[in-house]
Amino acid sequence: MGGRKDGSPSSSIDSSSHPALSTASSLSQPRRDLSTDLRLGLSLSTSSLQDGSSSARDDWPPIKPLLRSTLTEKGHQIQRQSATFFVKVYMEGIPIGRKLDLFALDGYDGLIKTLRRMFRASIMRPDIAQMPTNKDHVLTYEDKEGDWMMVGDVPWEYDFLPPLLILLPSILNSICH
Amino acid sequence: MTYFPEEVVEHIFDFLSSHRDHNAVSTVCKAWYRVERLSRRSVFVGNCYAVRPERVVARFPGVRSLSVKGKPHFADFNLVPDDWGGFALPWIEAFARGSPGLEELRLKRMVVSDECLELLARFFPNFKVLVLISCEGFSTDGLAAIATHCRVLRELDLQENEVEDRGPRWLSCFPDSCTSLVSLNFACLKGEVNAGALERLVARCPNIRTLRLNCAVSVDSLSKILACAPHLVDLGTGSFTIDHPAEAYHRLINNFTKYKSLKSLSGFWDASPRCLPAVYPICGNLTGLNLSYAPAIQGADLIKLIRLCLKLQRLWVLDCIGDKGLAVVASTCKELQELRVFPSDVCGAGTAAVTEEGLVAISSGCPKLNSLLYFCHQMTNAALVTVAKNCPYFTRFRLCILDPGKPDPVTNQPLDEGFGAIVQSCKDLRRLSLSGLLTDQVFLYIGMYAERLEMLSIAFAGDSDKGMVYVLNGCKNLRKLEIRDSPFGDAALLEDVGKYETMRSLWMSSCYVTLKGCKTLAAKMPRLNVEVINERDESNEMEENPSDLRIVEKMYVYRTVAGPRNDAPDFVWML
Repeated sequence: MGGRKDGSPSSSIDSSSHPALSTASSLSQPRRDLSTDLRLGLSLSTSSLQDGSSSARDDWPPIKPLLRSTLTEKGHQIQRQSATFFVKVYMEGIPIGRKLDLFALDGYDGLIKTLRRMFRASIMRPDIAQMPTNKDHVLTYEDKEGDWMMVGDVPWEYDFLPPLLILLPSILNSICH
Repeated sequence: MTYFPEEVVEHIFDFLSSHRDHNAVSTVCKAWYRVERLSRRSVFVGNCYAVRPERVVARFPGVRSLSVKGKPHFADFNLVPDDWGGFALPWIEAFARGSPGLEELRLKRMVVSDECLELLARFFPNFKVLVLISCEGFSTDGLAAIATHCRVLRELDLQENEVEDRGPRWLSCFPDSCTSLVSLNFACLKGEVNAGALERLVARCPNIRTLRLNCAVSVDSLSKILACAPHLVDLGTGSFTIDHPAEAYHRLINNFTKYKSLKSLSGFWDASPRCLPAVYPICGNLTGLNLSYAPAIQGADLIKLIRLCLKLQRLWVLDCIGDKGLAVVASTCKELQELRVFPSDVCGAGTAAVTEEGLVAISSGCPKLNSLLYFCHQMTNAALVTVAKNCPYFTRFRLCILDPGKPDPVTNQPLDEGFGAIVQSCKDLRRLSLSGLLTDQVFLYIGMYAERLEMLSIAFAGDSDKGMVYVLNGCKNLRKLEIRDSPFGDAALLEDVGKYETMRSLWMSSCYVTLKGCKTLAAKMPRLNVEVINERDESNEMEENPSDLRIVEKMYVYRTVAGPRNDAPDFVWML
């Protein structure tokens, strides 16, 4: 406990006035002076605990070693990591696609808005009833079973979208709500 | 009752469930002592140095289940030097010689060597359950021995041990014939694991109900494991982060959706918030959730998750949940019984994460709360009084204000009244940890009201010897008292020396106890071991006759029938 050495009570009270040497019962007379010294002695140690500039103590706060090591390791990593997930989006008929980071978007709203801007196309949404026109597109993906599905039905949080999305002209489907 | 045949008495004793009841009946008369000792199947030794292992074996020849604890609790916080003691070997050797029918061994805070594990593996043919908690001294080679030779192993539960990693082969040592595993927990291992061997092991153990993986097990592997262990009740995930969500993640969600039996979830090593929704499908069934190893998951994501956990009874989180998050817990988790909020920032002051507000919210929303461990930046007396009123059923109440000696920030008063309210209201309180600015007054309250208190932890508290004396005089059921950095000295220590024979142990570090006080105690009480632990290097102070007036840095006192121990290192003085 090297950090505590300065704060230990024996350094702030010399042995001649040490409470333990008093022969009278220590309970009968409150020793105000000494208790101030005691408090000082202790506060030195507590202030050494608060010293943020020194290296972290391994005995305070009282947490177990596994948690302590997990937090000190991961604490450094959290700042650096910001996860990204880039998907490619193609519009049918156009060979050059676009890329966007799904993690940077705020739900399906953000996705549709961004794609509208990127492709200058109007994109249908499954939750909004609208009559498909010539200009509308529908955003689709191929799921695990090989079926082509419209984006927007599964909750956004489920984060299941594959890395490839295709914008198809909606006239090709007969989706009616 | 002494006129009943012994078989009848033995049969009646079978109904006794607690160790204390067993201990009590054995003291009634010689006949009962004899019946009890022969019929005892389970023994709990709270302090490994309180009794010699040979004596336990001799008295209880039919023991099937043994639990032993070693180092004092403050060893968890690096206050006990590494070589202090707590060796498991003498226990295992004694049982190997005298009682090899042992089936279950549970050790806590002990030094367990690979040699111990090899002995266990080879000399106990019916060995079924091994639980090691906060132990150290062994490696994965020892685990390999257990896996190889324990043919009817049901439980291998490693909780927070320090294990030397000698490679992943141990898991492959479980033979193909091993199909009996019910519980496997290797979450504390740091090293790589053979994923294929793990998957095959889980697949061939149809009764597996608890599985806690370490951070080396990938999400991919987790999916495969979940697919072949459909009846899991308690899962500790492995690593919970993936670079490309779609494929492995999709599978994971599918698997979780099918899981109806999962009640408890933990692990989440390296968890990133993006992966959390995978567990949404099972949140509604969870009774236990431990997210304390996932510091990357911040308040907002925690809240989304918690909102789904309506049946939660036990929640362990980091303080990044915030007071707001705790309010959500309060409004969602009406069945909550145990809450632990750990500090996420151990290196510096940081921003205030949870305060008294979070605790008050919890107390008003969760009336069944009975166990609390709460690390916070501040606490007020008013809040504690409210909590005491809302939750009178606390059995464990541990509050740690991160800034030691901090007063109530609103009134600038000590927290005596707040803790006083807690001990007065919670009649069943068995365990209490104090923090913040505290005077002798709080100990007066504890002595007066905490009648059922068994364990008390004190840090940076009190004004004078009076404080400690109030506790020693008042708490009739006190078993363990641990004190650090508090102004209690020889007068308090020697006030009632007989008290320590009614307790398991007393720990005092960075207090005002002197060597003379310790020697006096040791001289008066031969059935106590008084240990003085000196870590400071042998300098001028530590000659043959160190001054008795020297303050001892660390002292550990415990009752024992085994006499002074002979395995103490040089820096531990047995007085």
